Amino acid sequence: MTEKKRRSIFDIIDNYFESLEEWAERIMEGLIDKPSWNQKACTMEPLRNIMITPTEVIVTVDLPYTKEDTIKIKPIDNRTIEITAKMKRKIRFDEFGIIHHKGEFETLHCQTRIPVPVYMDKMEVHFKKGILEIRLPRKHEYTIPVE
Amino acid sequence: MSEEVKIIEKKEIPSGAVMIFGFPDVGLVGVIAASHLISELNDLEEIAYMDSKLLPPLIVLHEGLPHSPIRIFGNREILLAVSETAIPANTLYTIMYALIDWGKRKNVKMMISLSGIPIQNRQDIEELKVFAAASSPEVLKMLQDKGVEILKEGYMVGPQAIMLQRCATLGLPALTLLAQCFLNYPDPEAAAEILKQLTNIVGIKVDTSKLLEKGEEIRLRARDVMRRTQQELSKMKKAQEYDIPLYVS
Repeated sequence: MTEKKRRSIFDIIDNYFESLEEWAERIMEGLIDKPSWNQKACTMEPLRNIMITPTEVIVTVDLPYTKEDTIKIKPIDNRTIEITAKMKRKIRFDEFGIIHHKGEFETLHCQTRIPVPVYMDKMEVHFKKGILEIRLPRKHEYTIPVE
Repeated sequence: MSEEVKIIEKKEIPSGAVMIFGFPDVGLVGVIAASHLISELNDLEEIAYMDSKLLPPLIVLHEGLPHSPIRIFGNREILLAVSETAIPANTLYTIMYALIDWGKRKNVKMMISLSGIPIQNRQDIEELKVFAAASSPEVLKMLQDKGVEILKEGYMVGPQAIMLQRCATLGLPALTLLAQCFLNYPDPEAAAEILKQLTNIVGIKVDTSKLLEKGEEIRLRARDVMRRTQQELSKMKKAQEYDIPLYVS
């Protein structure tokens, strides 16, 4: 009979975090390994970042070469927002030296899922130097009492 | 030279030049600055390139011809190593060692890495600072004499970290310039600031007005390289640069 070696709680936690990191990496690779543009919809996907603090979620989106008065932020559901912004002019593939794809882009567009519950109706928005900043207060659905 | 990495020379390499690195990192500061140097200094031409199976199986096509993603441009005064793709985190040591050892064999008189240091609320900052770190007390003094602010304590992660440590070991004068920048977004303004400081240190005159004029277009164009760079930065635990070090003296 083979003797089964017992794993310590630290090994289990280490393995858990390793598998979590692998999972996050796979998700990230999945997000990256697709074009950052949509030829049919004439849109480009902007770079974005999400920061979670104890009180709020801060979403920033890089919207270079866009007109501020065309920026639209629309909640799709209670955890997802859609952002669109028109560019100052249409940009063609060949302006990037690419001639094997045809098409032109006039909008930056993305949908972003907010990882924790937030109050969508209390959204604050700022736009400076081409960076859109969206601040969403966090919704704390439960608290654990400290005795 | 490492068996895994070869540097193929296409032209005669000048001796006694300054070797500059513009590799993908936060804000793509180094890459944007290096691209601008190549377009502004008309006499910089491709003089060598890297051939390595450690790199992803990709080439960069320019005018229908294949090019390595890591190339060295040069004139009589400078050698500029630039990468057009994110460098896989697990290959960074081998690649940087190969470039530095090659530079030493070419009697490079100094190595300079152009990079960034991320800052929160970057969009609210009008005047960006440029910090520096050096491989030796002599280079540090030279920087202080030129009025460059020194990054005194903290962690440094990425190609510039390897470069400083390797050059310190080899006794080769080296410095890293770090402009305040966005973490995850291409930052041409930071690239312009770092080029101004490069002029101050080595006297290379470069006009940054076009870089600032075309800043928004550059940001749009650089999105894909930035996305792939983010992925590699996360693998090399770039966020450790935010950590407060525990000093052991």
